[in-house]
Formats: sequence, structure tokens, C-alpha cells
Amino acid sequence: MSELVANEQLTVVGKDVPRLEAADKLTGAAQYASDLVLPGMLHAKIKGSPHARAKILRIDTSKAEKLVGVHAVLTGHDLDYKLGLYVVDKDIIAKDEVRHYGEAVAAVAAETADIAARALELIDVEYEPLPPVLNHVAALAPDAPLVHPNLGEYGYVEAAFTPQPGSNVANLSKLRKGDVEKGFAEAEWIIEREYTNPSVQHVPMETHVTVAEWRVGDDVTIWSSAQSPFTVRNLFCYAFKLPLNKVRVIIPHVGGGFGGKAGIHLEPLAACLSRKAGGRPVKLQATREEEFSLLPCRSALTYRIKTGVRADGRIVAQQMTMFWDAGAYADYAVNVTRASGYSAAGPYDIPNAWLDAYTIYTNKPYGTAYRGFGHVEFFWGLERHMQLVAEAIGMDPLDFRRKNLLYPGSRTLTGETITEHTGNPRKCLDVVAESIGYGSLTAEEYEYERRTGHKIGKGVATLHKAPAMPPFTGTATVVKMNSDGTVLVNLSLTEIGQGSATALAQIAAERLRFPIEKVKVTIEKDTDRDPYDWQTVASKGLILSGNATVLACDDLLKHAYADAAQILRAEAIDLDHDGEKIFLKHRPDQSVTFAELAIGYAYPDGNAIGGPLVGVGRYVAQGLSNLDKETGQGLPALDWTYGAHGVIVDVDPVTGEFSVRKIASVFDVGKAVNPGLVRGQCIGGMIQGLGTALCEGYIYDEQGRLLNPSFTDNKIPTAKDLPDEIESIVVETPQLDGPYGARGVGEHPMISVAPAIGNAIHQALGVELLHMPIRAEDVWRAMHEKEPIDNWITKSPAGHCRSVKVG
Amino acid sequence: MRVTLTVNGRPYERDVDEHHTLLSLLRDGLGLTGTKEGCAAGECGACTVFLNGETVNSCMVLAAEADGATVQTVEGEAAGGELSPIQQALARHQAVQCGFCTGGMVMSIRELLARKPQPSVEDIKEGIEGNFCRCTGYQQIIEAVLDVSGQLTPATKGELKHV
Amino acid sequence: MTQFKYRAPLARAELLDLIAQHEAVRILAGGTDLLVDVRNGFARPEVVVDIKRVDGLRDIKMRPSDAALVIGAAATINDVLRSEAIREGYPLLAACAEDLASYQIRNRATVVGNIVNASPCSDMAPGLLCLQANVVVSSQRGERVVPLHQFFTGVKKTVLEHDEVLERIVVPAQNAGARGGYRKLKRIKGHDLGIVGVALFELDGCLRLGISSAAPTPVLVDGLSTDMPADEIVAAARAAISPISDVRCSAEYRAFMVETYVRRLLNELVEVA
Repeated sequence: MSELVANEQLTVVGKDVPRLEAADKLTGAAQYASDLVLPGMLHAKIKGSPHARAKILRIDTSKAEKLVGVHAVLTGHDLDYKLGLYVVDKDIIAKDEVRHYGEAVAAVAAETADIAARALELIDVEYEPLPPVLNHVAALAPDAPLVHPNLGEYGYVEAAFTPQPGSNVANLSKLRKGDVEKGFAEAEWIIEREYTNPSVQHVPMETHVTVAEWRVGDDVTIWSSAQSPFTVRNLFCYAFKLPLNKVRVIIPHVGGGFGGKAGIHLEPLAACLSRKAGGRPVKLQATREEEFSLLPCRSALTYRIKTGVRADGRIVAQQMTMFWDAGAYADYAVNVTRASGYSAAGPYDIPNAWLDAYTIYTNKPYGTAYRGFGHVEFFWGLERHMQLVAEAIGMDPLDFRRKNLLYPGSRTLTGETITEHTGNPRKCLDVVAESIGYGSLTAEEYEYERRTGHKIGKGVATLHKAPAMPPFTGTATVVKMNSDGTVLVNLSLTEIGQGSATALAQIAAERLRFPIEKVKVTIEKDTDRDPYDWQTVASKGLILSGNATVLACDDLLKHAYADAAQILRAEAIDLDHDGEKIFLKHRPDQSVTFAELAIGYAYPDGNAIGGPLVGVGRYVAQGLSNLDKETGQGLPALDWTYGAHGVIVDVDPVTGEFSVRKIASVFDVGKAVNPGLVRGQCIGGMIQGLGTALCEGYIYDEQGRLLNPSFTDNKIPTAKDLPDEIESIVVETPQLDGPYGARGVGEHPMISVAPAIGNAIHQALGVELLHMPIRAEDVWRAMHEKEPIDNWITKSPAGHCRSVKVG
Repeated sequence: MRVTLTVNGRPYERDVDEHHTLLSLLRDGLGLTGTKEGCAAGECGACTVFLNGETVNSCMVLAAEADGATVQTVEGEAAGGELSPIQQALARHQAVQCGFCTGGMVMSIRELLARKPQPSVEDIKEGIEGNFCRCTGYQQIIEAVLDVSGQLTPATKGELKHV
Repeated sequence: MTQFKYRAPLARAELLDLIAQHEAVRILAGGTDLLVDVRNGFARPEVVVDIKRVDGLRDIKMRPSDAALVIGAAATINDVLRSEAIREGYPLLAACAEDLASYQIRNRATVVGNIVNASPCSDMAPGLLCLQANVVVSSQRGERVVPLHQFFTGVKKTVLEHDEVLERIVVPAQNAGARGGYRKLKRIKGHDLGIVGVALFELDGCLRLGISSAAPTPVLVDGLSTDMPADEIVAAARAAISPISDVRCSAEYRAFMVETYVRRLLNELVEVA
């Protein structure tokens, strides 16, 4: 969007500027929603369902209501509102029927957390347990019980989704490219497999928390740990039929989001408790256990891939079926399905493709956005599949990938034509392969194998992702100049740890040609004061808000130049500026400072011109379109970020225990606006991906109760779990419509870590790992061809398919 | 129950509920909210503080147990209005993202460096093992600790590579 | 969290009196298990008695009379790791302590707590069982000594009566200087409960195994010797355990890993010798 600037001309962009808010975070001064205390604030607690599916026969709250110190008690029948991002299917508190373990059945607000907890114990709930729908593939059977018998009555976003009433299908996304039957007919090999992964929790260090105040007169203020203030406000107002100017959402520092805080979650319940308590503010913070069971997770996926290949290694056809486990509510899962659907073949050129992607309701905690938005999940299957296909046809997996990668001129699944500016997946793959010494062992590695009896394996996996967002996604930035010439940048992309505030300050400083010290991007977001932004999700922030910020800076300078032209009695075209002043190009000693212009220029006699300098930048995604519902054709992608991971593992061939020696990652980021922050995203995502690969996932019993809703049995990586070596590399193919050529890389580092590990283990031991996470026992079972343990409930009744050679 | 304790060098006296934790006393009683609650089960380390010179998960200590104790929290780290060398190194190495684990992390690093002024990478991993960080992937934190202990070399100085 | 009264006796007699007086009483040492149980509603004490202010309970020392190692009820895991007496005389205990939870937890969690809690996945029990530790149990009725292998009666169950406190652990001096090691299977390299844990003890040809997370209680396999073939030792270990399948692992893999760890610990003995 802005003209590209040569690296040597950049003064702030591309530099390691320290994080703007680092001191506040390092000293404990940064205030998070969980730190907030308001006068008269009440504390709320939630009673969760012990059943996955049950009728609520009776709830008796009378004893709780009489407890001294209790100000509000709510059950489902007190609240006649439905919520939903894309399918409006969720009650604020379960009504008549609970649909997942941990779902809210009652809530209390009291003067202290202790009183609220005691009140919960005084609430009697009588349930009639019903057989739960647990396996999402089995849930497609015609006789399966329905999680939402009233699906046909729910509202939904018709442009993008197709719920199927009378079934458990919340959405079916389709994609048709070329002629898949013809493609398979040309294939010498057809290889089909099914890959699975369970539900996973985001685990932000700060659990979801909100403080809400619903005052008499229906003025509502919400402080929340949410990622997207305008989404909270707009969905809140939609549910309660309030005008948008009655509700104000404020986001202070956020202790991690990863997608789990993208939608609307605890805010409506806290607000309803506040309203019932006469307008006193109510604080509701999830316990860590509630974070796992009450709040949403990442959906489980069963991904079936059938690939037709010619003997020369060229893929000619691919049929893909995705079974996404929405859990009890559709939330983001339907859109995860849509976005994964159009990306499902990875950065490969597939001439004939066919995809059906189902989002399926079950009686489990529901799925939402999680870093990668479906891509971590389906790339597990896809990149394991590429390995297995290569092996089946007797080709090196790296060569096989190279042979099929997208190239300028390729068309994606939705019909988008790739150009040389789209990014360079080939370079990413080649660099990562080199970084791990793919294809051979070093002398040290060989000696290690000999000494220990262990096996060293090396594997690679590619990835790509585009922001998943509506085609009309927009944002705005307002840049305001202070009377000393410093500037304040207001926008609504929240700072959840990703470092956007700092990167945007760099973009503003670069565009204004100001030193970074003169630029402040506000951390706290406020829907009453800051301009609109769609959401802080999808790795779209840097591009969209970056472009809006460039435009806002230009707008501010335009006003400043107009004023200066008048003051200096010159044409604006003859003016130039530095960090302090605007001056005549041909007579630099004739100038006016920004400080003099900032709030209106005053002549010596007191006359004034101009006025406060404010720049506004608006930006909306350009040229995107809705996808055709039958064929999936259209343009959904603002930009593609390509990448690859390479992994070296050390496997004990007796026990299946393994450790990761090295992970290397390469992403085509277009332009690394702040290399240190980019590296932070790359490594942070890599280690989050490592957790997904090694140990994380929801485990249920046969009644659908979550057995591991805490850190006791749901481990996440610690410092000791780091690979011995980490290498973080970027390629910079400028994105022509990105700010200074940049594109997003927030989610990508988490994608394809798992299949790279799986491929490395595969290479070391020759084992077919089809589900993740990959625990030592899973490797051991695969080595001995023992059935995998299926406590994740992800395997379909169809079982695994074997590779078939045709003809 | 009445407890007296010294926090960051300042004496405090408070009435506490006997079943409440040191974490809740620090946050709700003394307004020191830099110490965070991440799990309330002694797993994540976001609530790490010094209690009588030893790091503890303050969610696993009763406020009553701290009667007469000396406590240090992240709020006591920056002395005289300047970030401490540990804090400066963490900022320099982009080792802070969402910041929610940072207070506890700073406490564990301070404890480690007191015990081992020149810790190896393995020592550092061991020293911060009890502090979950979901954002950074720990690597830049480890580099910051190497830096503040004067051990940063071209080999250990991590950088984003451009190709 | 359930409300309770907090008491911190300064003297042993006061401690024993408090325990005897109350029914729903729980002892607080490190608190790292107790406070989690209280928070989760698994424990609902009326009184919590903090033993850390009782003089001498945090000591780790050699008993002058017989040079036995005495570990007091308030001695922490990190106290064990810092103890020269243990590092030199009983390295197996240090090995067990090293991989127990995180540094912060090791600053609070106590050896005695790790035993009294009677979790099948205790890290200290395998080592202490091998070392033939005795536990000294005190009440107003007096003191009794229980061999550790008779202390556990089931998952989270022990022979302790409600008015009794496990005051100290005594490791006989004759077992000082033993060789051996501890292997623990975990889901991650960072702090985690053991999926299985195996301690091996060898002194003068006498072998013992302590095994955790493979039966309702930690298990001692005694009466083994270096003269026995490895297969026989492995078979003895296998016969002593009764692993289950749970969220952490299958019974089958637990059994396999116990066998593998026994074999590997035996190999290490040979390699070191």
C-alpha cells in the first residue's frame, strides 16, 4: 500500500525498538482486568454442570438468595437472550438442558468471593443425565441424538455458513476445483489416511476476567480481558437489543489471548449480575479449571485425505474431508471450518481438489479461535500425509514437497492466482532443510547414534495461512499531536502480548519521520474513545492497522503542511520536514515547528490559524469476496504468509521417548518491522506448537466429563522443554499492499511444528503416527503396531485407511 | 488473625482470614497486584515471591504463615526509580510479551542469580522451570539471564536471521 | 476455599495437644498438597496446624547414638538437596528429590509431606523404601516406630491415627554409601508427576527396588541380589506392581517402562562398577 522503501533509508522500521510498555510489565505496574477493584464491586462465581448432557429438572436458589452478602443469583430462566458469533445458539446460562461438562447452570454475585462460593454450595440442582454425543464423527449418524434440536430456529450469518437443521451439523463448507474424478483416474498411486487431534486449551496465563457495571438507565461499562473490544460491544448490544452508544468496553493490559479471548465470553453474565444487583460493578474471573471447561477450547479434528499422485511425484487430485468437533456451541468453530477449508491443501499446487468440511455439535466444551485458526490442526494431518505419500511412492519427502509447491502462476483452491509478490514458500522450505542438515547425519550425530543406540531423525513441514476474516474487514487510526510536537496514536488493535503497539509506533514514527520517542500508541482500548477495529485476531493487525496508521500519519502531515504553507507563504510542495519542524526546502532556515502548529498556530498579534492537528486513517481490506457456497471459489485471503519448520529429534527406539534437539523456522514475513518482536512471535509460537505436539489435549471419560481440567494433567511446556537449539529465520518478499512490505506472522509459528516432529520421528523409526499429541507411549505403540489409545475421542468409527496402489 | 510482615522493606499490619493465602493478602490486602494468580494450585509460578529469602508460590502459603516474615515482590525490584539490571536485560532482549508471568519470572531469576551468579543455560532452565510463560517460549528470557550475568557471547546471543 | 482456623504451635506438646483435641484437623508443613486439596474441596479441615514453628522439626541431622539419618517433619525437599550428609551418604535420596516439582515447590514441600500424603506417585518413597527408612509417629499416647514399607495402606491411606503426627523419618546408618539411582517417566521434561518412578539400591551385593505410580502405594521389592540374573530381577519387579490405565498412561506401558527402567538401572550399576 505504501511505496516500498529501501532498507538503508529506513530509520525506525526494521530496528529493534524495545517494547513500549515493557517497564510497566516488568515492575508490576501494568494493570490487567484481573487487578481492577472498583468501589462497591461484587464478586461473582459460577456453578458448573457435572454432566456432559442432562436435563435440568429443578434448580433451587432460595437458600443462596437468603445468604447475607449475596446480591444477585441468576439461572438460565432469568435470562431470555441468545448469543453467538456466527450461529446464535448459546444461552448465557444453560436453560432446561446442559450441553457440556462445566457449562454454567447458575451464578452468584456477593460481597466477597467466599460468600459467593458458599452461596453456590447452597444451590440445589436436580439433573436427569442423558446419553451424551461425544464422538463428532458418530454424531453425523442419522439416529444420533441432537445437541441442538432447535437448530432451524437459530439466526446465523447466511453469507458464509450453512447449518443443517435436524442434524448435528453446524456448518458444511464445500470446495470444488477442477475435476477430482478425472484427476484420480490419471493417478498411478492413491494414498488415503485419516489424521486426528484432540481439543486443546489456549492457556493464557491470565484466565478470562471481566468487570461489568449495568447501571439504571441501561448504560453499561465493561472492563474485560477480551481481545476485541468492538466485538464484545456489538455482540452484547445485539443480544440485549441496546443501541451501540449505550455500552462502553474498556480493555486494559491483557494477559495473553491466543484466540481464546477473541469473542464474547463472561461479559454478558457479569453484566446481568450487575443489573440484578442494582448496578453495582461485578467482577467475574474464571478459575483455571473453568478456563478449561466453562470457556472455549480449540476444536478437535478428524481429517481424511485421499491423494492421487503420478509416478513422477506430481499430485493430480486430492479429496479432503474435515470433521471438526464444535463442541456444544458453534462459536468460532464454523469459521475455523470455513477458513481451514479454503487453505486445506497447504502451499501446494493441486489441480483437482474436492473438500467437504463439517462443523459438528457434540456435548463437549466448545471450540473457538486458537492461534492458527484451524491450521495447526489440519497441517498436522496434511504434512504427515505428504510424508506418507512420498514414502509410499518411494520419493524423498523434501523433493516431493518441492515438486508440488505453489509457484507464481499457480491457482489456489479458491482460484486465486499466486504471484511472485505473494511470498516464497520454496525458499522457506529450502532454507529450513539446510538449517537442520536435512537428509544426512553429521559426524557428531552419527557418533551419538552409535554410542547411545538412539536414533536421530530429521523432518520438515511447510505451512501457510491467510487472515480469516470477513471480506469487508476495516479499521481506523487516529493520530493526535500534542503541543510539544509529540504524538498519540489511538486505534483499537489490542496489545495482548504480540507487540503490535510497538510495531505500529515504529510505523507511525517512520511515516512521520519522527524519532520513536515522540510516538505513543495507547495500550488501554476504549470503544467510546478509540476508532473502530474489527478484531485483534487472524494475524491481520500489522497489515490493516499498519496501513491505517500510515494513512493517518499522512493525513496529519497534510494538515500540518497546509498550515505551514500559509504561515511560510509558500506552496506545500516546496516544504519538507524533520522531527521538529516544517521548513522551506530551498531556505531551510525558514521554518515553523510542529510544536507551534500542534494546537493551532498563533501569530504574534494573537491571530490564529489551523487548529489541533489530528490525522485520521481508514483502511478496509481490498478486493476480497465471499466464497461461493457450492464451490468455495472467490478471494478470501488478504495475504498469505508462507513458512516451514525443520526438526531434529533424538528417539529412544526401545521406549519411544524422544527429545527435540533442534527446531528451525523460516517465515516469509515481507518485512520484519521489529526483528526482536518477530523473533519473540516465532519462538513463542514454536514452543506453543511444541506443547500441542507433545502433551496437550482434553481427555474425557465415557460420560463426557473432562478428566484433566488443570495443570496437574494438562501440562504445557516449561523452560526445560525447549529444544537444545532454536533457529529463527525470515525471508522478506515484500507484500505490495502491506505497510513497508510487511505481512502478519503472529499465528504461523505455531503451525506445522507437530508434523515436523512427527515426520522426524517417522524418518528415525519408520513409524506411522497419525494422531497428535505424540506422547512417548504413542511412539512406542506405533513401533509395536499397537492400537493408539483413544481417550481423546477423535478417531472416527471408520478407522484408519491404508494406502492403495491403483492399477 | 492479625499479622505483621515486612514487604519490600516496608512494615505492614493487617487482619487476615485464616484460610486466605499470602497471594490474596498481597493483592487484595496490600494492593500489590504485580504478583499474579495463574492457577491457584502451585503449578504456574505467576505468584512467585520471596518469603524469608526463599522463593515460594504465594498461592500455596497462608497469609497467617507470613506473620513476622520478610517478603519481596516484583514491586520492590526497581530501586530508586530505575529498572534493575534483571529488568533492563529482560526489556533489552524482548523477553516480555503479555507480561502476566513477568513478575514471578523476575523473582525466580533474582533467586537463581543469588544462588548461582553465573548460571549455565541448564541452570537457568532449571531455575525458571516453575514459571510458566505461554508467550515467549522462554528463549529470550534465557538470553536475558545470560546477558545480566555477563555471559552473553556471539554464540548465545540470539538474533533473528534474515536470508 | 473452606474456612478453617490456623494454629502455629511453638512447642511439640502443644502440637500433639492440638491434634488430639480436634477431629477435622490437618497438619500444614509445606502446604503444597494440603492447600490444593482444600481449594478443590477434597479436604475440609476445621483446624490447620502449622508445624513449622515447632523447634527442631526442620532439621536434617545424624543421630549421635547410631549415626542414623534423621529428617524432621518440616525439612523441605530443597533442604535435602542442600544437605551434605545426604549428598554424601544417601545420594539416592538426592536423586529422588531432584526431579520433584519446581524449585519454588521444593522450597516448601517437605519429605515427610511427600510420604504422609501417601500418593502412589510419591518421588521420595521409592528412595526411602530402598533405604529401609522407619517413620516415627507421635501422639499424646507416645511414640511408635513404623517401617516405611508398612506405613502405606492404600491410595492416600496410611496407618496414621487421627491424633498422630509423623514427626521424623529415620534412615539406618548401615545403608549409607549405597549405590543406585532414580528414573522417572514424565510427560514433559519440566516439573510433572511421575508416570512411573523406579529407584534402585545396591550395597554389598544386596539389591532393592522402590517403585512409584505402578500400584495403589509405592512398592518395595526386597531380597534381590547382584548375583541374580537381570531377567529374574525384572520379573520380581513386574510381580510386585499392579499398574492401572489412567489419563497419564496405559497399564501396559507403565509395566513396560518399569521393566525397562529396572533393566537400565541394573546396566548402569555394571557400567559404573
